[in-house]
Amino acid sequence: MTETAVATTPVSRERVGFSLHRVGVIAVNTLTEAVRQKVFNFFLIIGLVFIGSASFFAQFSFGEQLKFIKDTCLGVISVISTLIAIVGTAQLLPSEVENRTIYTILAKPVRRFEFLLGKFFGSLFLLVLSITAMCILFGAVLWIKEQGMIRELSQTYLGQTPAAQKDVEQQIQQVRTEALDADLVKAVLSDLAKATLVASITLLVSTFSTSLVFNVVVPFMVFVAGMLRGSAAEMWGGHTVLMELLAVVPDFGLFSIADEINLGNVVPWAHISGIVMYGLARTVIIVIAAHLIFSRREI
Amino acid sequence: MDAIRTEHLTKKYHLGWRKGKLLALDKLSLCVREGEVYGLLGPNGSGKSTTLKLVLDLIAPTEGSAWIFDVPCSKVVSRLHVGFLPENPYFYRYLTGAETLGFYGKLCGMSGARLKKRIEELLDLVGLNRARDRRLSGYSKGMLQRIGLAQALIHDPKLLLLDEPTAGVDPIGSKDIRDLILRLKGMGKTVLLSSHLLAQVQDVCDRIGVLNLGQMILEGDVKTLISDQRRLTITVQDLPDAARARVEEAVRAAGASVLSVEHPRTTLELLFLDALKKDERGMGHHD
Repeated sequence: MTETAVATTPVSRERVGFSLHRVGVIAVNTLTEAVRQKVFNFFLIIGLVFIGSASFFAQFSFGEQLKFIKDTCLGVISVISTLIAIVGTAQLLPSEVENRTIYTILAKPVRRFEFLLGKFFGSLFLLVLSITAMCILFGAVLWIKEQGMIRELSQTYLGQTPAAQKDVEQQIQQVRTEALDADLVKAVLSDLAKATLVASITLLVSTFSTSLVFNVVVPFMVFVAGMLRGSAAEMWGGHTVLMELLAVVPDFGLFSIADEINLGNVVPWAHISGIVMYGLARTVIIVIAAHLIFSRREI
Repeated sequence: MDAIRTEHLTKKYHLGWRKGKLLALDKLSLCVREGEVYGLLGPNGSGKSTTLKLVLDLIAPTEGSAWIFDVPCSKVVSRLHVGFLPENPYFYRYLTGAETLGFYGKLCGMSGARLKKRIEELLDLVGLNRARDRRLSGYSKGMLQRIGLAQALIHDPKLLLLDEPTAGVDPIGSKDIRDLILRLKGMGKTVLLSSHLLAQVQDVCDRIGVLNLGQMILEGDVKTLISDQRRLTITVQDLPDAARARVEEAVRAAGASVLSVEHPRTTLELLFLDALKKDERGMGHHD
């Protein structure tokens, strides 16, 4: 070690209130960790490859090509965001405890709630980042396909009768409308709300379990149960105990609006707001439950 | 004001169903005075790390209480002036040395030029300037220990809790850490040091406490504890044999006994450090 004098930088604050700054510092660090890890990159690359190659597999009739691309890409975004929500969140707390990095953080004037929230927000940043990346590519794929289809239609325009030209113009307009479908944003928002809720469930499980497998399997099972809640209600309608158990599980079926949008059905903003609020409300409740467990946990 | 005070601090761990409880710490009443270096000694499982964890509120006591600068340890504000180096620390392996210190500094409310300056000072202090932009995954154990010390010092705390600070560090690094502890003491810092290396503790600590099976079995001032008031060592240089015989005779005439006459030995550590100092290529780390 060199002979530099030990600095005497004073810490001015003598009160330690809840700090969003500290939450942000932990969140950014969590995001950095995830981005520099191979697991996250693996899922994201898989997602991007599927989305990027969607147009190559669109061997359908002219009108169905855009529908196929949208169907595939929304499906990929939904699956990959759910996987990233589970896998990205499941190892957050166990790895901190296992590597003892949590000791160095909680030995500083950092509240456990700030730490937990920072970890969760880091996971959400990761979700937003990955969904944004997939959406950008999705948009690019749609735009390239749209341009290709318009070019193809335009080539048939010259030399046509006025009536046929009008028909081509209508087809071009239809392609533009389908490609630039604002309702796709609704489907993505719904996916984000769903993935956020899945991440919060994973966070809750990881506050009392140190097993990575358990932290992945249990949220996944809860997610599957939530997806099947509607069908299960029909099957087990008479079984009160089973139905009460099922009522605890969030209804993930509510978030599946991509099919409706792809079929051309109008999904009103009020419905999307309702879904997002449903997801947010449950996320808040679950994060509070996670805090109650984590604040009492011995590290 | 005491830097750390515990009263009847007790910790029992649940071992699981039908296995009962393990008494890790038994009514520990400890007092670490401000400005002193206190050594917490004891074999593995004696309760040293449990004590540190209780003081840092990482675990809850079964009974008793603890305070840091008179603030209950259960309050976050008690950790405002505390720096902690855990045993065998692992940090975020994907961060560089400078990024690691930046992260911990921001957690302590530091930012901008002040944080940047502090990072430079500490990297220089622990001798990691050349490795500042290398990810911690490429650091050796000794380097991790040094970056751990730097993060503990980032907010210039008044109290340092060091759990086995020289574990896995080579003799040069070990001496550096020992020197640093002494310099921190000179600056008025309080240090609570948990260590297995008794010689090191003897060199730096003002007071020690020995834990065994969760109980304090010995505590006191190091110099008082290790000195033998009935025996006296006089070290002389170039004493002729005839003069030595007269000295021994004088001792016997005074009613005392000569227990041993021997040439003083250096320590292996001093010998090792001296050999490295004499090496023309210089002494240092391969950072």
